Amino acid sequence: MPPLRRAASATAALLVSALTLTACGSGGDDGGSSADGKAEGKITFQTWNLRAKFKDYFEGLVRDFEKQNPDVKVAWLDQPAEHYADKLSADAGAGTLPDVVNVSPDLSYPLAKAGLLTNLDKEKAAARFKGEYTPEAWQGNSLPGLGGSYAFPWYLNTGPLFYNKTLFRDSGLDPERPPRSYGELFADADRMARQSGGKTATLAATPSIEDFGRYGVQLMNADATKFTYDEPKGVELLTKYKDLYEHGGLDPQALTNTPEKSGQKFLEQKVAMNPGGAHDLETFKENAPSLYRNLGITDAPNNTGKPNMYVMGLAVNSRSKHKAAAIAFAHFVTGKQQQEAFAHKVAIFPSTKGSLDDPYWTKEDGTDEGRVRVASAKMLKGAVNYTPVVMSDEMKTILRNEVAKALQGKKSPRQALDDAAAQSNKLLRQG
Amino acid sequence: MAGRIRTHRAASPWLFLLPGLAVTAAFTLYPFLSTVGKAFTDARTLTPGHWTGLANFRAMLEDEQFWVALRNSGLYVLLVVPFTVLLPLLLALLVEKQLPGVTFFRSAFYTPVVASVVVVSLIWVWMLDDRGLVNGILRALDTGPVDFLGDEWLLLLSAMALTVWKGLGYYMVVYLAALGNVPRELHEAAAVDGAGALRRFTSVTVPAVRSTMVLVGALSSVSAFKVFSEVFLMAGPSGGPAGQDTTLVMLVQRTGTGLGGRVGYASAVSLVVFAVTLLLMLLVLRADRKEAP
Amino acid sequence: MTWRTSGWEKALRYLLMLAVLAVTVGPFLWQLSTSLKGTTEDVYTSPPRFLPRHPTLHNYTAVADIIPVWDYALNSLQVALASVLTNLVGASMAGYALARLRFGGRRLAGLVFVTALLVPLESIVIAQFTMMRDLHLNNTLTAVVLPGAVGALNVLLMRNAFANVPYEIEEAAVIDGANVWQRFTRIALPSVRGTLAVVAIFAFMGAWDDFLWPLIVLSDSDRFTLTVGLDFLHGTFAQNPRLVAAGTVIAVAPLIVMFTCLQRYFFRGVGEGAVKG
Repeated sequence: MPPLRRAASATAALLVSALTLTACGSGGDDGGSSADGKAEGKITFQTWNLRAKFKDYFEGLVRDFEKQNPDVKVAWLDQPAEHYADKLSADAGAGTLPDVVNVSPDLSYPLAKAGLLTNLDKEKAAARFKGEYTPEAWQGNSLPGLGGSYAFPWYLNTGPLFYNKTLFRDSGLDPERPPRSYGELFADADRMARQSGGKTATLAATPSIEDFGRYGVQLMNADATKFTYDEPKGVELLTKYKDLYEHGGLDPQALTNTPEKSGQKFLEQKVAMNPGGAHDLETFKENAPSLYRNLGITDAPNNTGKPNMYVMGLAVNSRSKHKAAAIAFAHFVTGKQQQEAFAHKVAIFPSTKGSLDDPYWTKEDGTDEGRVRVASAKMLKGAVNYTPVVMSDEMKTILRNEVAKALQGKKSPRQALDDAAAQSNKLLRQG
Repeated sequence: MAGRIRTHRAASPWLFLLPGLAVTAAFTLYPFLSTVGKAFTDARTLTPGHWTGLANFRAMLEDEQFWVALRNSGLYVLLVVPFTVLLPLLLALLVEKQLPGVTFFRSAFYTPVVASVVVVSLIWVWMLDDRGLVNGILRALDTGPVDFLGDEWLLLLSAMALTVWKGLGYYMVVYLAALGNVPRELHEAAAVDGAGALRRFTSVTVPAVRSTMVLVGALSSVSAFKVFSEVFLMAGPSGGPAGQDTTLVMLVQRTGTGLGGRVGYASAVSLVVFAVTLLLMLLVLRADRKEAP
Repeated sequence: MTWRTSGWEKALRYLLMLAVLAVTVGPFLWQLSTSLKGTTEDVYTSPPRFLPRHPTLHNYTAVADIIPVWDYALNSLQVALASVLTNLVGASMAGYALARLRFGGRRLAGLVFVTALLVPLESIVIAQFTMMRDLHLNNTLTAVVLPGAVGALNVLLMRNAFANVPYEIEEAAVIDGANVWQRFTRIALPSVRGTLAVVAIFAFMGAWDDFLWPLIVLSDSDRFTLTVGLDFLHGTFAQNPRLVAAGTVIAVAPLIVMFTCLQRYFFRGVGEGAVKG
């Protein structure tokens, strides 16, 4: 680089960093090094609870990438499941966020809002890859009010719903016709509770925000500035759940059940339906063979025609010192070949365009895993991430606790949802 | 006490205190002071925030969760402290006498103290589960199952039982030390007078270890009011059914952590926790001074 | 009549001690038993079965396959030993000054440690982390040790222990011309050996059992301590109580072994640190 250009770029860097200081928290993605340069330097890559099961895969990824980009060194970090948000906030606050970070949209939202993540739609070096991913997945990672997508789409998941055919049969229900809509679900649950004398519950968990979404409730206003799930349809859903709870269609411990606990109850055949993933099949096979032989798999009940999906993404730190390398690596990990290889190892789904047309995801191979896989892949077309990205953990806790109050009969469903929405809106306004 | 003559140079005490003071000031008091400062701002996890005066404290008064949490932390002190003051004392009296094998029992009773609260809570959850050890025993006796982990009050009581259980050995050891200093003659004299075990306990033992009981009371009130891990791990992050088992420090954790954490509000709540524990400590110590002969 | 233990009183004492034993140690044994049960054995029987029918170490090898237990245990051991060392030195020095030296500001210094006891630690973790970042110590084991390097409770324990040592011995040394440091190391410290054991055990326990702080301050999974590493089990294998049980046994066993080795000094030491009745 000629001396003059070097001086110019140094000045530019200074200017940019000065801008970063003043623009702190404004949602800009300036700062860090240029993304257009050559991929080089030492970058850090952080995943979320994947080491225990996929160590070899990730070490292989890093090796392959370093072979293709000899000037880049990648240090892989993995964090345990619990307190991941705390870990990210400590790093973000102290300016030690890794260069490439595994995030879900609800995690990337506050980070992006504080100007810590790169807006991929505005970063030329990244935006050119947009076409490689399915539009739904790219859309799933874009954040309302922040003008773009802040993470490369990575793996997708959708919960199939497992059901216990024996329990269906015992209640005189057709084991081959699981409920498809919420109406059918409530009717079946009522029947099952009556037939078993209140011993068999159909569901183990209270309704979550995704349930409200699939029921067709308007969760937020159009620009995501106000929660609206207390609209009449939301009240209607909660009222039905309350009925379910009172008549034994919902597990009596639903108010405190964790997802693990719900899974346990399904395993014990006390609960007839439970959301899960393909990895649960192994558990059933090992721990409850009789359940495994009578396992039904269906989609979660749905009134909107659009199933729910969970999206994971890889975000690039906007202040990365080696942004070009970070973008290259994030793109590499979320590339078609790498995502498909990952999805062959575990029951998740690639977000790259065309991947799901592969026979692996369209043709059943006679195994149960294959059946779940094909069913889920089919659901992913047109799926949306119902959970609003602006909904913080605290707001989820508020909804959960208010729903519980309605089920306990301490508040009317309408009052509970009004209160939850009001409290959450207050938090939203402060944010 | 120390003589009137100066036995050391003026700087010596501070050199002795330096490591301890430096660590405590830098890693506990300074972070806490910055927390105190944030209590008067609308700081979030990722933004420093602006001065808002007493707004956080006013918001607290209107926050239903705050009152629930205050009630639970208060109940924790009221229900846990009497047990942590009395049971370990009885336990200490039990293992005080040099009988063969008693050292084994002493150490064994200390085991729950040694294990981390995370591990211990996991074990308790596993035992109190509706298919766990306790309900297994109850079922064998043809009663139960009892829904320890589903009912808001049973959950809170179970967590309290865990706190008492985990503290038994710790405070037992404190009492053992104090009992070692009670002159034997007092007991013997009382026995000669024909005093029964209960009389001996109330008229000899209790007065002799009174100041230790006050100390245990103060320490355990402070830690009971600050309770977090046991309840968090047993009732879950959302605080049991409808959040009714939330304690104050759990509220600090829930509102103040995570990427969208309301650091300002959480700091205000922790300031309240600090003020109340200070008050508790002063009250207990004051009561002690007044009663003392 | 002398105050002697009668036969029935002895029997009653043993009976009561056995009952308390069942309550305090029973849960750990139940966990140990669960961890030794193979996959074919039902862990939810009623009445509960305490002895595994076919005891197996399979769950332990499975844990070691999933996470590098030995590396994590080594990290924990380093942190715990460092913490023991800093606490012994820092707390005994500060405790000695508070108990034995006369100087203006002694009450204030004492107050600093009492105040530190009241601070709810959950609320200052992030501020502590930012501080470590400024010191460029984040993601190091040093940072894990530092906040607990001199525990306030340990300082107060040491203060009590020194205060209970008769002053006459030291007075003699003063007359012999010994300086403060010599009196501290040669006379005061040897007479509070028991309390040092107590502080050592408290420091070891505190460092070994801590979870939230090491999780926040460490990023690199190679540097994780055992409690953080074991959380990978909880997150990924929650459905398998046998594995979780094996993990908890791994976390608790070293502490129990250490305590058993030191318990003689420990119980002696508590006597010295006690508040006299």
